[in-house]
Amino acid sequence: MLNLSDEQVLALAPDDSSRKSGKDLANPAKWVSKGVNEQALWGECQGSGSKPYQTQIDINDMAFKCSCPSRKFPCKHGLGLMLLYSRQSNSFTDTAPPAWVSEWLAKRAEKEEKKAVAAANPKAPDPKAQAKRLEARSQKVQDGIAELTQWLKDMVRNGIMDLPEKDQHFFENISRRMIDAQAPGLANMLKELSEISFYQEGWQSPFLEQLARIYLVTKGFENIEQLPEPLRQDLRSLIGFTVSQDELKEQPGISDSWLILGKQTTEEDRLITDRYWLYGQQTKRKALVLQFYMRNQGLPPLTLVPGTCIQAEVAFYPSAAPLRAVIRQHSTISLQPAFTGYSNWEEVMVAQTEISEVLPCYNDQVYTINNITPVFHQSQWWLQDSQMQLMPVKKGFKEIWKLLAISGGQSMPMAVIGKGTSYEPIGIWKQQEYNIL
Amino acid sequence: MDHWNHIVNTALLGTSRKMPGTQDFQGSLQEPAQLILANQDSDKEEQFLQLTALTYGFHQSGAQPILAEVAPAPECKQEVRQYCSNTAISVLKQVLEIDSIPLLQSWLEYCAFHQLLIPPAMLPTLLDKAWKYKTLRTLTATAGGHRAEWLGLFNNDWNFSKVVETPTDKWQNGATAQRVEALKELRIADPVTALSWLQETWSKEGASVKTELLAAIEPTIQANDQEWLESLTNERSKQVKDGVLRLLKKLPSSTIHQKYWQIAAEAIQPRFLLGPTVALPHIDESIFQSGIDKLSNDKKISDETYILSQIIALVHPSNWETQLDKSPGEVISFFQKHKSLQAFVPSLIQATIWFQYQPWAKELMQQSQSLYIEIIPLLPEYQQQEVCEQFFEQQSEAIVKCAGGFKEEWNLALAKKILTFAATQPYVYNQTYMNNTIHLIPVSIADTLDDIQAPDNWQTGYWSNIKSHLHRLIQVKKQVLSLSSI
Repeated sequence: MLNLSDEQVLALAPDDSSRKSGKDLANPAKWVSKGVNEQALWGECQGSGSKPYQTQIDINDMAFKCSCPSRKFPCKHGLGLMLLYSRQSNSFTDTAPPAWVSEWLAKRAEKEEKKAVAAANPKAPDPKAQAKRLEARSQKVQDGIAELTQWLKDMVRNGIMDLPEKDQHFFENISRRMIDAQAPGLANMLKELSEISFYQEGWQSPFLEQLARIYLVTKGFENIEQLPEPLRQDLRSLIGFTVSQDELKEQPGISDSWLILGKQTTEEDRLITDRYWLYGQQTKRKALVLQFYMRNQGLPPLTLVPGTCIQAEVAFYPSAAPLRAVIRQHSTISLQPAFTGYSNWEEVMVAQTEISEVLPCYNDQVYTINNITPVFHQSQWWLQDSQMQLMPVKKGFKEIWKLLAISGGQSMPMAVIGKGTSYEPIGIWKQQEYNIL
Repeated sequence: MDHWNHIVNTALLGTSRKMPGTQDFQGSLQEPAQLILANQDSDKEEQFLQLTALTYGFHQSGAQPILAEVAPAPECKQEVRQYCSNTAISVLKQVLEIDSIPLLQSWLEYCAFHQLLIPPAMLPTLLDKAWKYKTLRTLTATAGGHRAEWLGLFNNDWNFSKVVETPTDKWQNGATAQRVEALKELRIADPVTALSWLQETWSKEGASVKTELLAAIEPTIQANDQEWLESLTNERSKQVKDGVLRLLKKLPSSTIHQKYWQIAAEAIQPRFLLGPTVALPHIDESIFQSGIDKLSNDKKISDETYILSQIIALVHPSNWETQLDKSPGEVISFFQKHKSLQAFVPSLIQATIWFQYQPWAKELMQQSQSLYIEIIPLLPEYQQQEVCEQFFEQQSEAIVKCAGGFKEEWNLALAKKILTFAATQPYVYNQTYMNNTIHLIPVSIADTLDDIQAPDNWQTGYWSNIKSHLHRLIQVKKQVLSLSSI
């Protein structure tokens, strides 16, 4: 059984209210029974009903099941049980799983087998119909791009000075048109454009940067035939075309011990997006595993615990600068990986320029850098490297005090997420141990 | 950055008014910019968007960190003390989750007593708590070690945290909360030195610190302080002046107290054979300026009686003992017996409280069939709880309020009474109330807590939630208490 810290357990919570309720349930008085073995953690929690809720966790795949009516995942009982185990593992004396746990584990194993069989015998799609569908969609996207280009031109002709006074419809309408044109990626980019804070001084710069990215994507797609294949894939992906699972399967898998550097979760219109940032210990590859699921509609297929290590085969999406990946199979391993990464910001900037060279519209990246010290200069926080070079900390970074408290002013290896010249720390190595922030 | 500024300026005005020219682009950008601007097939807007994309790509490919001579802050001093154990951290997390300040205080006391340190990752949360709750400041500073002090350099809200070893060091170099604590400690151990500390530092302190220092010495005020305090009556700050006057009023030998006594003694003539008379003598304006109101706000009470009541409430009760040549009990009886003096009995009670005069507190409790709630804190600890039990049914609400300020844990019988009463008003005595009083609730009540039920059905659900919360508080309290035995 893994030794998870409170922070690691709480990082699995879908929202603050689950986090709070989970903490309340980390109370032995609430649990009628509880047990653990090498496969699972289980317990019966006395709720408001006559029968206690049966909560079970597959600790190898980090899968949860609970008989409670909650549609949150993991539910508060799952979180409470894990928290209780992390705090008082000695009180979990039962090791023989009850029937409801054994049956669930058996069903999971059966399901996995069926999945493997299905994967081995895939149904072949009709290639003609597929090509026809793709052509029709490409045409729609081209039409959408023509409309978007006109919108961009009108805006730059009239100037952006009055934009802060425009109402939401100005951006919403064009964003909707891109949805109609089956270019959801462009719609998202436009949404990001509208979300730039027009009340902050210097809003014009990030606005024009995003505008340039949108323009690059539209022009790139118009001239897609002239571009190298990996970049074509990136552009399709940025427009909103999904990568076929068959294509992904063909990608070579990279087996490694991956450290889960961090997890970011966002939610919009009940659609939850989990971003897991991974770092391969042998390959030194960085990976971003994205997961989307609707709130209250089923369980997310993947649950990784930030700060822990997994042994996994990871396949990267085809890209000029591969980062996004899927995890084919994984198991949690007990490993405290030492830091490896860049020596200073200059090296990071070189790596970033290499990405920019092949993929001008790249998104946030993750970097691990040695000897970083947080410093306060000109009314803001910066990350200083061993060569006294400074990089500003992303505005609104909430964990600056925790970072400062752990560092005590000493330089430390750090994992950061960001691009350009703004980065957000997500974890640090202290005495060879990785701590999530 | 100039290239990008040209792009921003053009974008603000719009291409219909301004277009960047080739002269705006130098170096590597000049040639591609010329090509873009020379292209006759594209309109101005297209050209501008291309120039924007070009400049954006150029900048992000050549992004550089800033090289600035920023000396990093001095590293935090190496800690010499040990960090608290993982078990203690786990208990701390539960204390923070349940959000009970008294339990947090107990946890910090455990750390301070055992000379243990708070782990760095938890410090910001605890420093924030201590900023919000002043009572936690000194303990947090002690258990926060050098790192808490170091963090205070960056966050003004946390600069109460300084590592100080000896009481003198605490007084000379500590933050205000630490200095106040050092002063309080020394006032008990060595009042003369404590007074000299105050005299030495006084002229260097600001008004708010002066006010805090005056408040710190109030519980230990004594005749030796009088001369110094009398010299402060002309302080510039009104706040400080009021603080000084308040302390002088507590000193029977002070000028203001002497004036009050003179008026009270003159106003009340005992005349043992004929019965006492009450007549207010002429009163100097300075008396009213010292905070005595002239006009009664109750039409049943005359202005004269009202003024005299206020003055008697500020006269040390022992003065009556000498004046009437009677014991405390006899003085109280004397006032209670004579109709003309009965109106001043509440003032005697107030005076007993004001001067914390225990001989009268005991007498007042013994002579009365009813409870003077304000007197309770003046009784010895064991007696406080006994009195509360005895009079609980008479003044439940007031007793519950008073018992909330006790320093000792409630005995089981009193705790049961209080919680049974709380069950009748679960919306008042809610989870927050339990959080704030858990240090007073004995853990042994957990066994019988479920026997306490809300009297009305509609309150059952809410009370049951409170009980469940209380169970958890008790469990966490047990864990905090058990830390010391590990």
